Amino acid sequence: MRVFFSLVFSLFVVDAFAQVPLDTSVAASLDEVVVTATRTPRSMGNVAIPVSVISSKTLYQSGSLRLNDILAEQTGIQVIDNFGKGIQVQGLSSEYTLILIDGEPLIGRTAGVLDLSKITVRNIRKIEIVKGPSSSLYGSEAMGGVINIITDRAGQNNTAIGLRYGRFNTVDGNLNFSRRFNKTDIAASLNYNQSKGYSLKPNAVQKTVEPFRRSTQTLSIHHQLGDHWKAGASFRANSSHIDNTIFVQNLGSTIASKGFEKNEEYNFAPYLQFNKEQKIKSNLRGYLTGFNAVQELAVKNATGGYDDRFKQLFARVENQTDWQVAKNAALTAGAGIVRETVRSNRYDTASTLRGNTIAYFFTQHEQKISNKLTMIGGVRFDANQAYASVWSPKIALQYKPSEKVKLNLSYGRGFKAPDFRQLYLNFTNLAAGAYSVFGSEVAGAEIKRLLAAQLLDQTTSLIGSLSALKPEVSGGLNLGIAYTLNASSHFTANIFRNDLKNMIVNDIIAFKKNGGQIYSYFNLKRALTQGIELGAQQKIGQWIQLNAGYQFLYTADKEVLQSIKKGEVFQRSLSNGQAYRMSLADYGGLPNRSRHAANLKFNAENAKGYFSTIRIMYRSRWGTSDLDGNGLINRSDEYAHGNLQVNASMGLPMNSHLKFMAGVDNLFNYKDVQFLPGNPGRTAYVDIQFIF
Amino acid sequence: MRSSSIIGSALLALVVFQACKKNEAPVAVPTLTERTISGIPADTIVGMVNGQPVGAGKFTFFSFETNAVVPSTDSNSVKWDLGVRGTTIITNGGNSGPGAGGAFVYVGTFDDLKAVPKDSVFRQDNAPVSYAVPNSSNKGWYVYNPVSLLITPIPGRVLVFKTAKGKYAKVEILNYYKGGITPSATASDTEKLKNQRYYTFRFAYQADGTMNFK
Repeated sequence: MRVFFSLVFSLFVVDAFAQVPLDTSVAASLDEVVVTATRTPRSMGNVAIPVSVISSKTLYQSGSLRLNDILAEQTGIQVIDNFGKGIQVQGLSSEYTLILIDGEPLIGRTAGVLDLSKITVRNIRKIEIVKGPSSSLYGSEAMGGVINIITDRAGQNNTAIGLRYGRFNTVDGNLNFSRRFNKTDIAASLNYNQSKGYSLKPNAVQKTVEPFRRSTQTLSIHHQLGDHWKAGASFRANSSHIDNTIFVQNLGSTIASKGFEKNEEYNFAPYLQFNKEQKIKSNLRGYLTGFNAVQELAVKNATGGYDDRFKQLFARVENQTDWQVAKNAALTAGAGIVRETVRSNRYDTASTLRGNTIAYFFTQHEQKISNKLTMIGGVRFDANQAYASVWSPKIALQYKPSEKVKLNLSYGRGFKAPDFRQLYLNFTNLAAGAYSVFGSEVAGAEIKRLLAAQLLDQTTSLIGSLSALKPEVSGGLNLGIAYTLNASSHFTANIFRNDLKNMIVNDIIAFKKNGGQIYSYFNLKRALTQGIELGAQQKIGQWIQLNAGYQFLYTADKEVLQSIKKGEVFQRSLSNGQAYRMSLADYGGLPNRSRHAANLKFNAENAKGYFSTIRIMYRSRWGTSDLDGNGLINRSDEYAHGNLQVNASMGLPMNSHLKFMAGVDNLFNYKDVQFLPGNPGRTAYVDIQFIF
Repeated sequence: MRSSSIIGSALLALVVFQACKKNEAPVAVPTLTERTISGIPADTIVGMVNGQPVGAGKFTFFSFETNAVVPSTDSNSVKWDLGVRGTTIITNGGNSGPGAGGAFVYVGTFDDLKAVPKDSVFRQDNAPVSYAVPNSSNKGWYVYNPVSLLITPIPGRVLVFKTAKGKYAKVEILNYYKGGITPSATASDTEKLKNQRYYTFRFAYQADGTMNFK
């Protein structure tokens, strides 16, 4: 508590230096131009789709290093620690959110999760967050939403060096460079990030987080070729290296193995753009990205060990043309081809190539029907080689009854393509029960092979349902209202509902004679997520800004809801161990979902740039795993504890060239060894920036 | 003296009971026993062989009629109704024993099952290929979590037994660990192994040979 008060106190001391008032009204933020919601530049207040922006200033003042740091502080978003730091938007898990860098998708997911801690936020201009299905513009994965990281710093014309030191020997060094030469803009950045890791259990032989080091290099060039033509390219390379010392307890005996995990990723995006007097704009873009992951573990005094190789390649050519048809009508059309390949020893041998080709087109029409009413309609079609094709429509309406009130309504369909794992995985675990998992495209052949070898015992009724996987699809409805009381107060509310079907789950198709189970993938599950998101922004006096956010979230597996209604679901009492029938109220929904999440952010800043922030994030209990044998979240001991996390920071700019900041994350040192291994407890840091 | 007073009070109860419900048939002396049994060892682990935990390989036999464990020397008799070894549950019938036993898994609560349904089919043991009570995760009475390595009885599964002597019983397995307490998911493997294979269950046994559990 003392730390907290001294921080609050120091805040006012810092404020006492303030002399000149600032002009940063809340309403001004609505004029911010965003590009992600409609793939065209629009001011945020004029977009009928839930969208929010995180500015580079917020990123700096929050002391964020990696993408997960800042997203964890946003309303309606949870960062879930499972196969890396994944994101949950509107209750949809990580595989259903598309992550873009400058409009191009990032690849390299593990079990569907894109690890956000791979992405540095020290070299970017802003982050745009769109909620609800956006497959009508972006195709696969844009079901829960789209996060677009915008790096363009071309106009800044400076060189900045940032250095950070924090607990657990966390070091982050960053160099950002941007220069304008006549008609050419060049921007480059280097980032290095490391930590020695930590142990949450004091005497554990194995660290909770192993030592790692990561680096990112970017380079972008934009050149104005004439009045109407512009060309450019951006390049990004990203790598991470994790030292692994793993102690596996195998039935009483401890096996030590040492190794490493290495992830490398690169992106290259050239473009050629034609732009004529705001009338027509056409952009031809190429995109090539690769992801290589290697994991090696050698067991001491033993042969074999673990060797995992995964190589993914994604190449795309796309044209998008925006045409201002009339003063009140804008048309966007685009088409492209994607080629995606994977080589991995998780599927076959590391040299066997698996691939998919996608051809797609999309179109969007924006019509201003009256001064008060705007309508956007769009549709995208994705034709796939490896799985069924899919249409993704979207419609959005914005109605402004007055200057102060905006009503937004949108409905869209989202989809997620079956991933390579679901199509091609060919995995047999010899250690644990000799079970096998076969992707839908290889399961048939594998079953035949086992049958011919007389290794198959019996098949389940599901074997008849083995067929080409369909994409998972969702329908998402968003109904929002924004109310601007005055220049100091702004309120928002958004009701959302997402209905997911054809969700891919694995299930048993057969049993082997040795007792091992054989799994494959099916479009079986239906689920829903719904809730409400509330936001309030309030400016107090000249220097203080308050932001509050809240999300109520309800999620459910629809099949489970039906079974509960039919009285077919049971649970076991904690007190007497006896089973009884489960009611709808007992059902905790999908795992990892918190029913309530709230945040309160307090920011003070004066004209000289002295600032102080306190950010309080609350998350109610969330389901972890089943303990009473019914496979569902229902009993009180199946939840992780709700918790409060408080982060604070303050900044002391010396002059226009030198800025200091310091902060403490997780001020009250909240820890949960079992369910929050990615949270190391209280972490303090200091940060210095030189700007030339 | 003592037995006559029991008979006397039973008669009295009968009279009182009948007085209350004049229009119903006479009610017999209760023949239904309901019990909760705890700490039945089921081939508890004695060591490791080739990295796999092993027990002595012996079943523990139990009689619903006497509400007691039956010595394994009586395994080839109709004195027992239920046998447990690890997660395997056997009946005194089929190729497991000389009795008339069999079983099936009923989906519902223990109290839901007020009588054995008329059209019930009692399955027979055909060890080791199949058992009256299927012995695999999520198929019969338990679910195995490959992450926490814990065995949990599935709620809403009642094992309906035909006993060695052809009578009926219903069983709800409550727990698979010592003291009726499942170790925490974060407990050590040693603790999970040391404390497993101890059954806690409740049963109702109908001694009158009818299919009623009332």
